[in-house]
Amino acid sequence: MNKANQDQPPSDIEDSQTSSDSSDGSSKYAGLFRRPETGAFMGMALVFIVFGFFGYEKNFLSVIGSSTWVNHASTIGIIAIPIGFLMIAGELDISVGAVLPASAMTLGVTSGYYDLPIWIGITLTLCIAAAIGWINGMIVTRTQVPSLIVTLATLFAVSGLTLSLAILTTNTTQVALNAPGWAKALFGGRYLGGFRSSVFWWIGLTACFIFILHYSKWGNWIFALGGDKESARNAGIPTNKLKIALFMLVAVCTALAGICQAIQFNSAQSPTNFTLIFNTIIAVVVGGVLLTGGFGSVMGIFFGTLTLGIVQQGINFTNIDRNLSSLIIGVMLLIAVLMNDTFRALATSWSTQKKKNGGDI
Amino acid sequence: MNIKKTLATMAATTFIATGAWAQDIAVIGGSINDGFWNILKKGVEDAGLMVEANGGSVNYLLVPNYDNFGPDLVTLIEQAVAQGVDGIAIPVWVPESQMPALLAAREKGIVITLYNAGADKMEELGALNYFGSDEYVAGVAGGKYLAEKGAMKILCHIQIPGAINLESRCQGVVDGAKEAGSETYVVRMPANLDQDMVGTSEALKAELIGDDSIDGIITLAAWASDAAANAIEQLGANDRVMLGTFDLSSSVLSRIESGKQTMGIDQQPYYQGFLSTATLFAHLKFGTKIVTEPVLTGPAIVDASNIESALAGVALGAR
Amino acid sequence: MSNQEPIIELRNINKSFGPIDVLHNINLKVNAGEVLCLLGDNGAGKSTLIKTLAGVHNPTSGEILMGGKPVHFDGPRQAQDAGIATVHQFGGTFPLMSIGRSFFAGVEPTKWYGPFEVFDRKTANEIAVKSVRDFGITRIDNGDRMVGGLSGGERQSLAIARAVHFGAQVLILDEPTAALGVKQAAHVLRIVNETKRRGLAVIFITHQVMHAMSVGDHFAVLIRGGIAADFRKGERSREEITDLMAGGETMADLEAAISGDA
Repeated sequence: MNKANQDQPPSDIEDSQTSSDSSDGSSKYAGLFRRPETGAFMGMALVFIVFGFFGYEKNFLSVIGSSTWVNHASTIGIIAIPIGFLMIAGELDISVGAVLPASAMTLGVTSGYYDLPIWIGITLTLCIAAAIGWINGMIVTRTQVPSLIVTLATLFAVSGLTLSLAILTTNTTQVALNAPGWAKALFGGRYLGGFRSSVFWWIGLTACFIFILHYSKWGNWIFALGGDKESARNAGIPTNKLKIALFMLVAVCTALAGICQAIQFNSAQSPTNFTLIFNTIIAVVVGGVLLTGGFGSVMGIFFGTLTLGIVQQGINFTNIDRNLSSLIIGVMLLIAVLMNDTFRALATSWSTQKKKNGGDI
Repeated sequence: MNIKKTLATMAATTFIATGAWAQDIAVIGGSINDGFWNILKKGVEDAGLMVEANGGSVNYLLVPNYDNFGPDLVTLIEQAVAQGVDGIAIPVWVPESQMPALLAAREKGIVITLYNAGADKMEELGALNYFGSDEYVAGVAGGKYLAEKGAMKILCHIQIPGAINLESRCQGVVDGAKEAGSETYVVRMPANLDQDMVGTSEALKAELIGDDSIDGIITLAAWASDAAANAIEQLGANDRVMLGTFDLSSSVLSRIESGKQTMGIDQQPYYQGFLSTATLFAHLKFGTKIVTEPVLTGPAIVDASNIESALAGVALGAR
Repeated sequence: MSNQEPIIELRNINKSFGPIDVLHNINLKVNAGEVLCLLGDNGAGKSTLIKTLAGVHNPTSGEILMGGKPVHFDGPRQAQDAGIATVHQFGGTFPLMSIGRSFFAGVEPTKWYGPFEVFDRKTANEIAVKSVRDFGITRIDNGDRMVGGLSGGERQSLAIARAVHFGAQVLILDEPTAALGVKQAAHVLRIVNETKRRGLAVIFITHQVMHAMSVGDHFAVLIRGGIAADFRKGERSREEITDLMAGGETMADLEAAISGDA
């Protein structure tokens, strides 16, 4: 099989009668609207303006005020991007609701209760999470059971295991953890007037994930996997290995978020975090990822997560009835899904709209 | 009020923290899906009328649920600080997580008053006061009450395993019952059954079927008591099982009235919300301070003997 | 029949799944620059046969020869490496990916920026667009466009161009015209002819006799897992082929059966 011809000259592509108008200004502007993150950005800008306006009085926009909703978003964001990868690849993982407390508890029990060095606790936590991800991935790829059901099962299994192991080892479901200085600085510190370490992890990971999804070949594989699994396999993409890797990535990132939380707040709790499941899915969908797979972007998920953070936390800075925050999120989610459909239609209608009378068909 | 500022100006002044004006206080509390907190919220709102009449403001901040309790509470504390409040009223549920944030708030000159949970943290926080019941003492009172009424084996139901206040309530029940010569069986239900009436009811039914020597149940929340009553009803075990609960609700009281429930332990959440808000504001504004500390708002046991007056309070949303 | 060595040859291929025999004694040869039309009704074993060729299944007995040498495939990837490419009904492309990315799915061209290996979008787009245009599809001029925006015929063409670009010697087309209108189908057939002209061996699976007759050099009719007829272009009439596909019953018999019911 001959490899892609790297030294192919930028040949005679423009030699036909059909004008290549895709490079002019108006088309570039239109291209912006076809990107999956555009809708997410506009939604974020909208809620930012609304809450910035109504919450201005209570310092919503100040550094310390912003830190509260950015901090809140960071935990969700660290998990939401790999969840988004999975969703782009056509799968779902809801076991994160149990993996987060399980990770925090693992660290809390090993390094808090048993007083082992924190790096041992962190290593163990990441390994256990990777193992859970691997199990999820193996079951999903080896059986035909939908990932929603598989991870629903692991959600409950892991949550039950966490609770019973916690009671077994420490006889309580909440353990205190005092991390040494370096770990506190790395995972549970506060910088620039109130931003938690997790915020910087989130930003750093976002950069890595942008590279992986949009610039590396693995990103292409993820899109192909979600676009059409059979074709992806026929094209020689190791679809099963890729899926397992993605499930492991989700679990490991969730564990990282759990580690940050446990170290930041000096304690770990075992109750299952059901809200996290909804929050990550909302962030991803509001971020423009298609539930059926094959379409999405990291920046979109980033904006979607910030939007969620603004709405969930911003309401406390306003006089809006607290009971309405869930309503706002529900409405926002619906609008996001409808908008996603529109943007996708725009994206795929590009050529047919542009060249009604051109071409040869 | 600077609401007329244009958005552009707003963006330009993003990083300028506006100073607090008048006396603003934040009250941080539990999820409003929980009936208890609606009663407490009424207390906060009633006190809020007085606060506003004196030029202050109250911002009531709630955790959305109890899934991610410690971090959520800290986020709310940080928000209150960010909003430039002068005082915070808050329960201490997860000390490891909350204490650093509260100490940081105090360092900024914010006055802290505690309610509902965390009496033992008053000194460390230099808190203004504590309004609430002592969970353990209330548990002892409840356990003793049912044991003295003749219950030999009491089931104590914990809906959120690991929540310290709930654990100490049941510990109190264990010790109170033992004092009166009865035994207690503590059941920790999985946290996903929290607020799940049907699930909890079936789970309690299973416990009652599994061990027919259980002749008393103490639940730690009003909704859980509804679930327990339903389980007892399904089994037709009203004569066998006495039911007691922490916290009141209209359904708890109507069961007490009709004799289907033995008692309810009231910690009077209305007072917790009202007194913590009112005294915190008064301290900031007028420099007053209650000398008694901590101020216990419970336990007050409601049973057939005093049901009438309790019902009147429930009708007004304050009990 | 020419004397040249066929690119691909099947000798006595049998395939059974447990007790069920799906294919028996299949013997086929396809030469370079020739289109073999594989005709057959639903359930005749067409898809099992192409899956066997594409390395998805292994034959229970018999052998596959390429260039005269026996080959054995442990998976679709091996078959592809040996030069057998399969294009399915919907083109094997990804509607929500760009043309360039879709074209190179699984074999991405990359370049290094310091320590980072980056997908080379420019090269990918250029090669993809050029390959498709070489097949006469001038309407595709921007590799950043979504595949989903292409017509069915264009998507088929893109998939065929892809297979050719990656050095396929044998191209298996699985019902490429089934979901297409007349104009679009004609377009795909033109691409098939172009592929043939470039010297590939094409195996064209269809149940549309007209499409088969317009490009085929050699026809095999599959009925209940066996080859019922094997003939060259011009040896049979359209009616005869249709009859063969319907399981040997003549059209007249069929018509009688229908009117008898009514």
